[in-house]
Amino acid sequence: MSLFLKIFLWFWLAIALILAVVTVVNWSTQTEPLTRQWQNFMGESVGMNSQTALQIYEAEGVAGLQTYLNRLASSERVSGIGFFDGNGKQLGGTEISREGFDLIAEARQSRNVEFKRLPELTLAAKAITDPANANFVYIIQVRRPAQTSLLGEITNRWLQILALILTAGLVCYALARYFSSPLGKLREATQNLARGDLKARVADRFGRRRDEFALLARDFDVMAERIESLITSQQRLTQDISHELRSPLARMNVALEIARQKSNAETQPMLNRIDTESNRLNEMISRILMLAKLESGADDYEQRRIDLAELVRDVAADADFEAKANGKVVEVSSADKCSVMGSENLLRSAIENVLRNAVRYTADRTVVDVSLEAVNGHAILKVSDHGGGVPEEELVNLFRPFYRVGEDRTRKTGGIGLGLAIAERAVSAHKGTITATNYNGGLKIEIALDTIKKVD
Amino acid sequence: MGSLDFCMNKILIIDDDEELCELVSEYLTVEGFTIESVNDGESGLEKALNGDFDIVILDVMLPKMNGFDVLRNLREESKLPVIMLTARGDDMERIVGLEIGADDYLPKPFNPRELAARLRAILRRTEPISDDADFGERLDIDGIQVSAASRIATCDGVELNLTSVEFELLSELLREAGKIIRKEDLSERVLERKLSPFDRSLDMHISNLRKKLGTRADGSERIKTIRSVGYIYTVL
Repeated sequence: MSLFLKIFLWFWLAIALILAVVTVVNWSTQTEPLTRQWQNFMGESVGMNSQTALQIYEAEGVAGLQTYLNRLASSERVSGIGFFDGNGKQLGGTEISREGFDLIAEARQSRNVEFKRLPELTLAAKAITDPANANFVYIIQVRRPAQTSLLGEITNRWLQILALILTAGLVCYALARYFSSPLGKLREATQNLARGDLKARVADRFGRRRDEFALLARDFDVMAERIESLITSQQRLTQDISHELRSPLARMNVALEIARQKSNAETQPMLNRIDTESNRLNEMISRILMLAKLESGADDYEQRRIDLAELVRDVAADADFEAKANGKVVEVSSADKCSVMGSENLLRSAIENVLRNAVRYTADRTVVDVSLEAVNGHAILKVSDHGGGVPEEELVNLFRPFYRVGEDRTRKTGGIGLGLAIAERAVSAHKGTITATNYNGGLKIEIALDTIKKVD
Repeated sequence: MGSLDFCMNKILIIDDDEELCELVSEYLTVEGFTIESVNDGESGLEKALNGDFDIVILDVMLPKMNGFDVLRNLREESKLPVIMLTARGDDMERIVGLEIGADDYLPKPFNPRELAARLRAILRRTEPISDDADFGERLDIDGIQVSAASRIATCDGVELNLTSVEFELLSELLREAGKIIRKEDLSERVLERKLSPFDRSLDMHISNLRKKLGTRADGSERIKTIRSVGYIYTVL
């Protein structure tokens, strides 16, 4: 699960839970008392008003009572008001609803305050007694604030909670993005760097951010800068050294030939030896240079459509020519028609190195088998020799520069351990893979490359 | 161009490695050449343009003006044969060198015997033609005219700017137009050396020649590759 999802879901869950708890607590503690408080308040006001109405009635009669009740009824929230005597006769006030009369009866029965909640009205009736023990009932109908319907109240609450949770979700989304997006950018840059793009930098993409992530990004850039300069200077060193080694080698070659011009038969063999060694040295320098170049910039190679079958046949023919000298044969057992995108020179050198390696190590009078198969958008090139293979544990090291399988250092195979390293670099520059396995008493090298579809 | 006395061919070496120049001079003198050496590009170009040389050996990495610029400037005024010394393994240098008109290249460090052989091969090709009728050969095939005497090749009336190797390759291919010529034969006849495995120089010369010839009006290639065999000049 990605960090983004984790942060997002956890925070959202936390906020939703907090909301739920707060709501439940609110309902169980605050909502009920509020209604009761309101009832108490209403009870008090009903008590006071009924007392006043009774006193005014006894002092000023029906006319005074009506004036007083009218004054109370003028309030917007009051929808009806009434004052009744013991016989149920209305002494003053406005028209009273049917529910009002029911409540009056109840109040008379209980001799106290009674409340009734209707969808839109709250009714309160109070029975009072004057000093002469005559019974009266005071009633008031009050319009409730708009949302006081119980059902409406509940739906409303749920809507509120939903809105809150959704808002919380949005905020959590933003928060999670805020945390995870810089990590995504950092990760991308790290991957690019690991892939060999030494120019990968990330701080620019953080804009004006100044937090720890931005600091981390800046540190990453500093690190990448350092790695880049170290690697390029190391590569340049390798290249420069190899290049410089060639000048004395070139002079040596000419001096050698001058010596030959002046030599006699006796010194010829040694001069030949010097010639051979200087050629080896030269070959080695060429390969180191090639490897250095391959390791430096993996991306700036020409991209062309290459007929792989033709290339393989071509290189195999050259290798076969070379192999014949030792009674060895290079045989192309299959060559499916397929094309790849890339640099012909690089692929040629990859195939050439693998083939020459096989020819070098295969036993005398044996065959090096070459097969090229096109399967499911991949080109698989297999080169197998009969040279006894290599110990299993050494297989993975075969592609390391200057690596040679144990005893080979003393053998007269003439390799310097760069051929397969070059092949590996060249193949991975084409996003392909190269693997080595022991197979049938020999080594099998397998190169896999992505093919491209034929346009025509 | 050049003296009639083959053994006294004058060679100009442009290379910043003075010691190498001395050694090469010594070697080539014994081989029968007359040598002069210059160590930077600018004076090299001046010498090549004004001196009485038969061939130039030109290094790529030179102070003041690099080998490619020297060659480019030289080609504006002169067809003096040039062998380039390129860094071994650097395909770009070889390709660029041949494209801007080098007659041949030799990767450095080189074998001086090979250098001498190539010098002789180029000099033989560019030697002034005697009145001998055989040398006055003229080919006129498929809109391409080749005159061995003047060493000028034209395609649809436009002069082709060919190096001596390309000129010889074209002549060979046209002479046997419609027939496959094996790579081995082409190498021996034109480059005057045996074709060795993994040697791609013949392919490179052919590729440059193709570029200079262009395709026919209908877009078809004039020179076709017959894989692992050789080349053929196709006839309609």
